[in-house]
Amino acid sequence: MSLFLQTIICGILLGAMYALIAIGMTLIMGVMKIINLAHGALVMVGMYITYFCFKEWGIDPYLGMFISMPALFLIGCLIQKYLINRLVEVDSILPENQVLLTVGIMLVLTETMRLIFKSDYRSVVTSYSTKTFFLGDISISIPMTFGFLIAMILTWLLHLFLTRTDLGRSIRATAQDRDAAIYMGVNASRITVITFGIGSALAAAGGSLLLPLFYLWPDIGHLFTAKAFIITILGGMGSTMGAILGGLTLGIAESLGATYISMGYKDVVGLIIFLLVLLFLPGGFRSFTRR
Amino acid sequence: MLKVDNVSVSYGDMQVLWDVTFEVMEGELVALLGANGAGKTTILNTISGLLRPHSGNIYFLGKEITRIPAHRVAELGIAHVPEGRRLFPEMSVKENLEMGSLLPEAKKKRKETMEWVFSLFPILKEKQNQEAGTLSGGQQQMLAIGRGLMALPKLLMLDEPSLGLAPVLVNQVFEIVKEINRRGITVLLVEQNIMHALKMCTRAYVLENGRVTLHGIGTELLNNQHVKEAYLGI
Repeated sequence: MSLFLQTIICGILLGAMYALIAIGMTLIMGVMKIINLAHGALVMVGMYITYFCFKEWGIDPYLGMFISMPALFLIGCLIQKYLINRLVEVDSILPENQVLLTVGIMLVLTETMRLIFKSDYRSVVTSYSTKTFFLGDISISIPMTFGFLIAMILTWLLHLFLTRTDLGRSIRATAQDRDAAIYMGVNASRITVITFGIGSALAAAGGSLLLPLFYLWPDIGHLFTAKAFIITILGGMGSTMGAILGGLTLGIAESLGATYISMGYKDVVGLIIFLLVLLFLPGGFRSFTRR
Repeated sequence: MLKVDNVSVSYGDMQVLWDVTFEVMEGELVALLGANGAGKTTILNTISGLLRPHSGNIYFLGKEITRIPAHRVAELGIAHVPEGRRLFPEMSVKENLEMGSLLPEAKKKRKETMEWVFSLFPILKEKQNQEAGTLSGGQQQMLAIGRGLMALPKLLMLDEPSLGLAPVLVNQVFEIVKEINRRGITVLLVEQNIMHALKMCTRAYVLENGRVTLHGIGTELLNNQHVKEAYLGI
């Protein structure tokens, strides 16, 4: 029983960090109507920035977030402004080609990191990396708990931003009806730039939080793109609440898979759930709340 | 106040507006009438900057606005209440109204304007925390008009506000449009409900196949033989 509880708790902690990455993807998808296949690569870049700060200057990964997030915000804004929006301006280019462009961006980011850091596996070792604390007879990892708490705080801050500020509301309005938002005086193309920036910053935050838990190498981005994509589908595309539920589901599923099947097959469990959702619940969790 | 001068608009190769010219003076309630597909919505979208004319100019308050970006049009004091209402369905009624008052001047008076909109449409105050997508058609139309008013516009463009509403609601919506005009807001009304629109407007333009074919004082057009035969069925 305690093994089961421990597995679930571990899944929830991990899931919250996945959710943070997926919320970034969902935000971008909501406003741009495209799936950002470079999202995992952005997570990876965020991880490398955090890693670099740790290695060179000894900055703790959780503090490194305050560098990786603004850096990725800026990179995201530039990508949207000078690459993706350039395609949007041309009517004859299909939206599918924007998706292809994100694949290209993913490749460039991945190979640039390989050029700088080589393909070696890297990890950060901090004083608390392997520390745990006990709740009854359940042991809980400290870096995961930290990651969970910070992910929750960031999600909550994002929620406040999206519901309480005019800029946040403009982002939601643009996602729901772009033309109507323009009628209200919203500069929709500026909103896409800001949204891509925020989405990238969230990816970076997720990367920094996961750095103490994962090995880092340039191709790890694919893993996170796949995870974020699965979560986005699970949650019903474009829904923040759905992304949180989807993230927790994936976290718990992987954790159960790792405990009860084998560590090597944990991703399979997530993919099986993904397939089942596509087959039987194509709208994701949103199918439950919406007629 | 608003002057549309010889404007022609095409969608790709298909021209839908041919040398459309009309004018709206300050304080007027001008109706733009015509059947489905006559180009009424196209005109409003061109004024709003979502479409670009390939010839002709549009002036607002003496300034040319033909080629300014769409999101800047709202800044000039033009509010567009689009066809099919185009609310933000997953935002609350209150948030929709707040979205109407993003620009600095309107934002300053957000609270008071909202009180005014609530006094025009008491039902919106009752439902202010409900999602806009869950409102009935009539309530959604009121919210769309209310959202337009939140910008404290100089010119309010209404695109078929009576579309899809029960007859009793149609009367109510038109009463409110008149009331808004009485408060000094210039109104450009696009309608298919021609009888109603002609009775309440100062002047009207009739659009057929993308061209302005008739214009005049509303009550005079009511007695025009062509209007009677083609639109009123008498």
